[in-house]
Amino acid sequence: MLSIALSELVQIFRNRLVLVTSLIMPAAVSAFFIYQHEGFAALGSLGYIAAVVMFTVGAFGLYTAAVTTLAARRQNLFLKRLRSTAAGDTGILSGLLLPLTVISLVQVTVILTALAVVTGRPDNVPLLAAAVLSMVIMMLGLGLATAGVTNSPEHAQVTTLPVSLGVIAVASWIGLSGTEELTLLKRLLPGGSVTELVLNAWNGGVPVADSLILLAPTLSWVVVAVALASRIFRWEPRR
Amino acid sequence: MSSPPVIDVRSLNLTYGDFHAVKDLSFQVEAGELYALLGTNGAGKTSALEIVEGHRAPTSGTVRVFGKSPRDRRAVRPRMGIMLQDSGFSPDLTVRESVRLIGGLTQRADRVERVLGIVDLTRKAGTKVAQLSGGEKRRLDFATAVYGAPELIFLDEPTTGLDIQSRDHLWDAVDRLREDGSTVVLTTHYLEEAQQRADRVGLMHKGTFHREGTVAELTRTLPAAIQFSLAAPAPAPPLPATREGDGRFRVETFSLQEDLHTLLRWAQDHAVELRGLQAGPTRLDDVFRALGSDQTAPATS
Repeated sequence: MLSIALSELVQIFRNRLVLVTSLIMPAAVSAFFIYQHEGFAALGSLGYIAAVVMFTVGAFGLYTAAVTTLAARRQNLFLKRLRSTAAGDTGILSGLLLPLTVISLVQVTVILTALAVVTGRPDNVPLLAAAVLSMVIMMLGLGLATAGVTNSPEHAQVTTLPVSLGVIAVASWIGLSGTEELTLLKRLLPGGSVTELVLNAWNGGVPVADSLILLAPTLSWVVVAVALASRIFRWEPRR
Repeated sequence: MSSPPVIDVRSLNLTYGDFHAVKDLSFQVEAGELYALLGTNGAGKTSALEIVEGHRAPTSGTVRVFGKSPRDRRAVRPRMGIMLQDSGFSPDLTVRESVRLIGGLTQRADRVERVLGIVDLTRKAGTKVAQLSGGEKRRLDFATAVYGAPELIFLDEPTTGLDIQSRDHLWDAVDRLREDGSTVVLTTHYLEEAQQRADRVGLMHKGTFHREGTVAELTRTLPAAIQFSLAAPAPAPPLPATREGDGRFRVETFSLQEDLHTLLRWAQDHAVELRGLQAGPTRLDDVFRALGSDQTAPATS
């Protein structure tokens, strides 16, 4: 798995397109939000800024890049090539997705640290870390499922839009309007409970036990996404 | 002959929707053999090969490789090398990185430089795969297949797109592996290669074996041919001959030596010159052409 991950890392840095979409674009959006934090905090809260930048990295740096990578590796038969060795399927997928996952985690950490330095420390850091991790796992699961319906890296530009724009819209909606109304709906939408968790972790004022329960809907999305992926993921291009 | 076969395929079937790609296919490959799977385009040989390699699950039937299911990659793959029909390397990795990655994942031990030397890609070690020619990609593919000198090697059209020198190189490498006891399964469009090298040939047609046996067994069922032309005027030849479009005579025979003797004797006695005389056993090409001509007889489905 590590040798696959290492070769994947080399490929990410040699392929500038992936580097730009997965690193620079989310970093630029995040920098804008942090720069304008007073205005955005007045609209929502600092927790809202944290949720939006986190989902920007999750949606573009991780999810879209993961779908594009898997579609590209399938299209040029690299997946088939890897499967002609002794490597197992789980090891292959983990190896392919590990570099993007690590890069995204580092990016979110750096960006949230920058936000904390500029605006002050979040209320509950471990809870925030749990929120970030659950978001990353959910986006990976959704990425695997989306890769199943994506024929080519070009096609990924279309197939990833509903989820990537959807989670950012959900994060903005909940970040700006809270979860006092339509609570159940907002928590069940993908990314909804993560956003609420981030708001609680950053802004504080909510008992931790009440926040932890918010991990359940996110993990349910992981289960749904992985179940879907195991049915529709393809290792070879359609002929 | 007491050791179990390396590959044991029984009553294999594969259907895609309504299309029956492989029908009731059974064959064995013994240790150390070079087995060639031949067939017309769409005969089902790649489908069959992919099932035996473990890339595809059969609809029914059993396949055992080294006595195990080929789907059990961890058990079987360290012992086999696969040269795919399409290369499937990442364009952004170099030749050296590709061999190190794929070779390493087979769990066999070898040196990258050694296998690059075998396929004459040492000078291209630092070149990205995207910049390789088609033939160089095939050689890279072969290098990863023979990494660590596996006991079983699958070669799916290994020499397609290779120039004659690279082809000779590749076969030299295969010969060396066979001297060390490797078993080889080959598909090819170059019948000459199969004829020269295969111990046995499975000739696939419409998803099943049309014929299977040694090259000699396969060609024995077809007559040998003698061809010549005569300067006019000349007496009629002593053997039943057909006249071809260009005026050449063609004699088909199951007793080549005897009939050739008769012909030469007759030419001597009558002081006749046999121009462009050719005589030879049937080639695998002819078996294939025979297959192609029965193909046209029944309605194609």
